[in-house]
Amino acid sequence: MSEQERNTPLVEVGGLTKWFPVQKGFIASLLSHGQIDNVRAVDDVNFTIQRGEVLGLAGESGSGKSTVGRLVLGLLEPTKGSVKIDGIDLNGLGREELRRMRKRMQVIFQDPLASLNPRMTIGEAISHPAQIHLPDLSSSERMDLVLETLEAVGMSPARFFYDKYPHQISGGQRQRIVIARALITRPELIVADEPIAMADVSVQSLLLELMVSLKEKFDLTYLFITHDLATTKYICDRIAIMYLGEIVEIGPLNEVFKNPQHPYTRALLAAVPVPDPRHRRKEPLPRGEIPNPINPPSGCRFHPRCPIAVEGICDVDQPRLKSAEDVEGHLASCHLRTGAHKDLDPTRTGQH
Amino acid sequence: MATTLENPPPESPVHLEEWEQELQKVGLVRRILRARRWYGTDWWFVTISTAMVVAFLVIAIAPQFFAKYDPLGQVGPRLLAPGELPAQEILILPEDSQYNSVADFATGERIPIAVQRETPSSEAARDEADRVTEENAAAGSDERVRLQIQRFETPGEVLDTVVAGDAVAGVMSSSVFKGLADQYPTLQSAGAISSAEQDATSFPLGTNQVGQDVLSRLIWGARIAIIIGFSAAIISFVIGVPLGLLAGFAGGKTDRLMTLIMDSIYAFPGLILAIAITAVLGPSIFNIIVAIAVLYIPTYYRIVRGQTLSAKEELYVEAARSIGAKSREILSRYIFPNVIPSVAIIFSVNVADAILTGAGLSFLGLGLPPSTPDWGIDLARGQEFIRSAWWLITFPGLAVMLVVLAFTMMGEGLVEIFNPKLRER
Amino acid sequence: MASIENPVAELPPPSASDLAHGEVLYSIRDLTVDYATRAGTVGAVDRVSLDIRKGEIIGLVGESGCGKSTLGKALMRMITPPGHISGGELLFAGEDLMLASDRRMRQLRGARIGMVFQDPMTSLNPLARIIDHLTETIQTHESTVSDAAARDRAEQLVARLGIRIERIDDYPHQFSGGMRQRIMIALALALRADFVIADEPTTALDVIVEAQFLDLLLELRDEFDLTILLITHNIGAVAEISDRVAVMYAGKLVELGPANAVFGETKHPYSQGLLQSVPNIDVDDVDLYQMAGSPPSLVHPPPGCRFHPRCPAAMDICRTEEPAFLKVAPEQATACWLYSKGRYDE
Repeated sequence: MSEQERNTPLVEVGGLTKWFPVQKGFIASLLSHGQIDNVRAVDDVNFTIQRGEVLGLAGESGSGKSTVGRLVLGLLEPTKGSVKIDGIDLNGLGREELRRMRKRMQVIFQDPLASLNPRMTIGEAISHPAQIHLPDLSSSERMDLVLETLEAVGMSPARFFYDKYPHQISGGQRQRIVIARALITRPELIVADEPIAMADVSVQSLLLELMVSLKEKFDLTYLFITHDLATTKYICDRIAIMYLGEIVEIGPLNEVFKNPQHPYTRALLAAVPVPDPRHRRKEPLPRGEIPNPINPPSGCRFHPRCPIAVEGICDVDQPRLKSAEDVEGHLASCHLRTGAHKDLDPTRTGQH
Repeated sequence: MATTLENPPPESPVHLEEWEQELQKVGLVRRILRARRWYGTDWWFVTISTAMVVAFLVIAIAPQFFAKYDPLGQVGPRLLAPGELPAQEILILPEDSQYNSVADFATGERIPIAVQRETPSSEAARDEADRVTEENAAAGSDERVRLQIQRFETPGEVLDTVVAGDAVAGVMSSSVFKGLADQYPTLQSAGAISSAEQDATSFPLGTNQVGQDVLSRLIWGARIAIIIGFSAAIISFVIGVPLGLLAGFAGGKTDRLMTLIMDSIYAFPGLILAIAITAVLGPSIFNIIVAIAVLYIPTYYRIVRGQTLSAKEELYVEAARSIGAKSREILSRYIFPNVIPSVAIIFSVNVADAILTGAGLSFLGLGLPPSTPDWGIDLARGQEFIRSAWWLITFPGLAVMLVVLAFTMMGEGLVEIFNPKLRER
Repeated sequence: MASIENPVAELPPPSASDLAHGEVLYSIRDLTVDYATRAGTVGAVDRVSLDIRKGEIIGLVGESGCGKSTLGKALMRMITPPGHISGGELLFAGEDLMLASDRRMRQLRGARIGMVFQDPMTSLNPLARIIDHLTETIQTHESTVSDAAARDRAEQLVARLGIRIERIDDYPHQFSGGMRQRIMIALALALRADFVIADEPTTALDVIVEAQFLDLLLELRDEFDLTILLITHNIGAVAEISDRVAVMYAGKLVELGPANAVFGETKHPYSQGLLQSVPNIDVDDVDLYQMAGSPPSLVHPPPGCRFHPRCPAAMDICRTEEPAFLKVAPEQATACWLYSKGRYDE
């Protein structure tokens, strides 16, 4: 690959927005004079992923992270904005072209039992993508590829598992099958949506280890979507924190964890349970709960729960992602921390 | 953290030993027998009804091996009760008669014989006459038995004629004569007129008013029932399932239009719709099948459409989309196989229902040519004899009931078994 | 079924409340629970003994299939066929619940022992308002309480648990997950239960809401001297609020002790492996432990110690003899042959 190609980001997301119209009953829509409410699942999201990088996308429920994942894969059409994979805008592709594009980008969903067809054997499930995207392979060549991939994800003896059905194997094994299915076409990008969340604790570490080693072996790029910040430490290079459809902080993982700028990031990091009874939480928890994404708060969406919000600024103006002064590539959207009102930042004025 | 463990390098964290692999290979028979302990009554339910269904199918496919008699032929005396020996035809002669048997009638003259109308007697007499004639011819003599048969309304008149001397002999069934013998002390039985086929054979389920064997008709009727039931069910299946898949998958206007049509058909009371269709199309076995098939298409459509709608939302369908599968592939490899099991179960119940409706239609006289051996037709014909010959209705009715029960039980039992009772971890 | 029309009789004077903090509230002795399945009898819980003390939060951890949820249900005698409690004693405040009648159990459930489940949506009646849930629970168990008094109590509880008072007339679906869990606690506390069994209460919750909820549990424990059994696979949550920790594997109790001891000086190899598998956001450059193998079949468990096929420290005796659950430190007990020599006797 040429130097220039190496430098083009594999994934480029610009202004990505997805609004879902709320289904209303007939009478309700009459009463609201035809006004349509939208669930603002994703609002003006921008980021890039370089080849070979693992970008973590973290957030709680309603943050829009899963929706971003599906948008990146082209499983959903954006309301506004664009997704470019290797420079190719997915919007501009016809249906057939988009289908063929799938050879290069695959997905791992959260629930392995639900994402495997219960009536297909493991062998069939894994070889199906190969049938679609590698039509030149003979069926025996294809089977060899499937067996090879099964061994690569740690399922041995591969031939034994080839004829089994998903319900005949354990949960952790199933997720390996899902990973194998994602790998069979040797894609460049894998979007992993909570890939280990449903496995047992001890199996989670095995799966994480597997994903890390596969990344090396097959030269993969991951978009790693999760709600568990602790696991991101083991696999992610950079991390983006999402809240209510927006990215509130993004940067190299170690930087973001050591010097979190956005108050929400700080709260999230503080709330992560630590498997050490001596550990005491350093930050107070924000009040209240995540608001309704149909009617997000005005201005900065976090302001009703933010411990340092300033009236007149935070509830009025929308903050933008701006660089934190210390590190290149570390951005946060907070008026006080990185925005125009740094003079009011309590950590700087010594009040916090 | 204290004492950290050595991290063992698992080359293949999911490695199954040989013996573990062996454990998972269990054959079908073993599994069926193991299932008996687990499922208890339901297992018996299913196995017994499946055995019944299989027996029924075997009989229906090859009725000629099971039915002793031709269902359309008059093979016995009329209205014989189940297990009853047919009464023999006997020759009745006056005490002082010069004759002893039909063989003695071979004089060349025409012998007047008295018989009752519409009984096998005349035929029996003629058969015997022919037999004797043939025998004599074979023996070289040309003495023929020639009969002049006089027919009367009642057995009493027959016997009166013999007593009066207007007839040389009378022929009637032994049971009838037995009832009247006391009144005619001068008459006596000269023995049975042999009728080779009927010597001491009884009909296990009796005969009907035309002399046809009820059991044979039942067995041949099974064939018609199966043909109608299965064909109708298969046609409904073949039309209803793809339509349901299409409607569920495509959604939108196609879905709404088809559902409207299907609901309209569904809303019609079944038998009446079938009657209407048969009336329009005309009577033939094919039209009956079409009529019944139309009745059940909406059932398959609704169930398949519902299942497709929910399967469409499943994660594995989204996963199929994400690997780049075409819609056609998604329908055939991902949705169809997951929808089919529930349909297969209703097929069984559907066949039962189709057989029942078919019997109903032929009971009403629609569709089948009247000479066909069919349970519905038998039921219709047997109505007037409900008191005198109860077996004419009872057995066809029982047959319909048992077959419908067997298919229904099998279907219901399968539903229970396919519902996992305990989610094993 | 107890209801307002058919109220259960007044409870005898609560003896459990007389217990001092730290005394044994619920003593479980050799509890065994079996399930009949197609493949055979599953030994979900095998001879587990545990003393739960008044006012403590005890965390019960393990992975799926270890039997912790079954244990929780057994403590309320809520095991339904094809499962059944095949042995052991359940001594709650001196009373053996194995001998209690159905009626007595109904008196106890809710009034003395409360339960909070993982998915509150299915535990709450979608057609009843929150206030109705609470008042009906109160009046069913305490028939002498008037409507007004019941409503008062309900409102106090709701306020105490951080739910806005004006929402008391709302229906369950109008609340978020975290709020619904608070409602479940309110129901458990409505009758002043001493003992709350929380089965995976935070699994369906977001991180921040989970942290708020755990804080709430701590507050309630301090205020009411509540005893809480926290059953979960979330090791971090257990570390945050538990006083003592119990670890289960394949139906057996393998380790028990104060949280600091179990985390700091882990005894059993399984617990060690488990705790080292958990990612720790505070610690840098540590590899996660990779545990080999998979949990054993509970129909045909391995002979000897059930963990031996996966244990890096397995000895010959581990393959043939099952280790007893013994005290190996002032407050810690474990079932492992590594410690049988250095057995701690009082």
